[in-house]
Amino acid sequence: MTSTRNLLLGFTASLLLAIVFQLVRLPDILAAARPLWVPLVLAYWALRESRISTLLPAFVAGIALDVLFGSPLGQHALGLVIVVYIVERLRGIFILFPLWQATFALIPAWALYSFLMFWVDGATRHQADAWLRWLPVLSTTLFWPLLFSVMEALRQPPEDE
Amino acid sequence: MNTLPESYRRPLFPRGPGLGLRTALLALISLALIFNDTRGDSLRNVRSTLSFMLTPLVWVASLPGHVLSAAENLDTRETLERENRELRQKQLLLETRLQKMNALEAENRRIRELLASAARIEDEVLIAEIVAISQDPYRSQITLNKGTRDAVYRGQAVVDASGVLGQIVDTGHQRSRALLITDPNHGIPVEVNRTGMQTIAIGAGELGLRLPFLPSNADIQVGDLLVSSALGGRFPAGYPVGTVYELKHLAGEHFMEAYASPAARLNQGRQALLVWSESYLVGGDVDGAADEEAATPPSAP
Repeated sequence: MTSTRNLLLGFTASLLLAIVFQLVRLPDILAAARPLWVPLVLAYWALRESRISTLLPAFVAGIALDVLFGSPLGQHALGLVIVVYIVERLRGIFILFPLWQATFALIPAWALYSFLMFWVDGATRHQADAWLRWLPVLSTTLFWPLLFSVMEALRQPPEDE
Repeated sequence: MNTLPESYRRPLFPRGPGLGLRTALLALISLALIFNDTRGDSLRNVRSTLSFMLTPLVWVASLPGHVLSAAENLDTRETLERENRELRQKQLLLETRLQKMNALEAENRRIRELLASAARIEDEVLIAEIVAISQDPYRSQITLNKGTRDAVYRGQAVVDASGVLGQIVDTGHQRSRALLITDPNHGIPVEVNRTGMQTIAIGAGELGLRLPFLPSNADIQVGDLLVSSALGGRFPAGYPVGTVYELKHLAGEHFMEAYASPAARLNQGRQALLVWSESYLVGGDVDGAADEEAATPPSAP
């Protein structure tokens, strides 16, 4: 019972931390290449934990991001829900992959997320023509092994007990 | 490492609707929200409530920036003294200019009274601090630490020491968000200071401001100062908006375009001034309309 509660606590904390990372001020050059923290963290939990459902938290986090970024309500929510769906659907395959293979296998998910953001921006007549938009796909891919290892290391001790 | 944990067990009888159905439902809700939010204003209250609830997150996220700026503020005594000296000299200069300004203002008021126009020269202002979090590189927005509690309203003009910054697009209880004039979604009525020609400046991101659809024989030059115009009743008249730096004649088109660099220092500075425009103060009724007429100069044909 306590392990489930710890799990939920860790999940919430990591999600909040991801949102904060998404918000922290960076120099302009780095800001364009900022990894997609929230999809990263959500994808990790969707992949590693079957005990908690990540779908609804993804929606809520998306709405929070929309409010914080001033984008149309639902834009980030849509992207996050779809990324989580894909990862959760393909968990059976992903879980068998070694880390480097999973890193590459997840690229389409990040690309789809970026494309959805780009598409909704275009559909709501916001400026949507920067090639730099695809930079986060690259940085997110690079951050995936890092995040995965760190999270695994953090979660290892309780499982030994 | 990638073995399934012991606790991994697919529930034999899954409760509730399946993954696909739930995803479809949430995606539909998202799409409906997007549609609603871009078409109307009905979700504004929801947004401001949520924004109030998320204030702690924003505060946490702005901490590193605050720490950095605090570190910058640790100056040596020498630089402080030098700065002090420079400021004194500047103040002297400005004071002399201000004396002239007072006389001019009085004269202007007399002349305006003669014209029976109700334009005010001193606008009501409030200083707000920029809680500068550049969240999304593709939206030029700033967040200010004043909101509806200080009677900030949607559409209010924001200026800084050197020119117009933008306007408020979203208000919370203690926070408001302003759209900068360089955002591609932003347009501001401007007047060419030299000739009095009225036109509209649209944000062009990195390029500054774009003045589209100028008549090809319009009297506009590189270096012309653009000031805000009271047309539309949203911005107070007479604040600098930008300086023209390029004119573009499009071959085969009836119009030309001009590009201007914004006068306000958009990505620097910590403070901004919120200006209450006349039309808002008088309730935007008959007086406002009269002002607009009075503010329209006989523009060059």
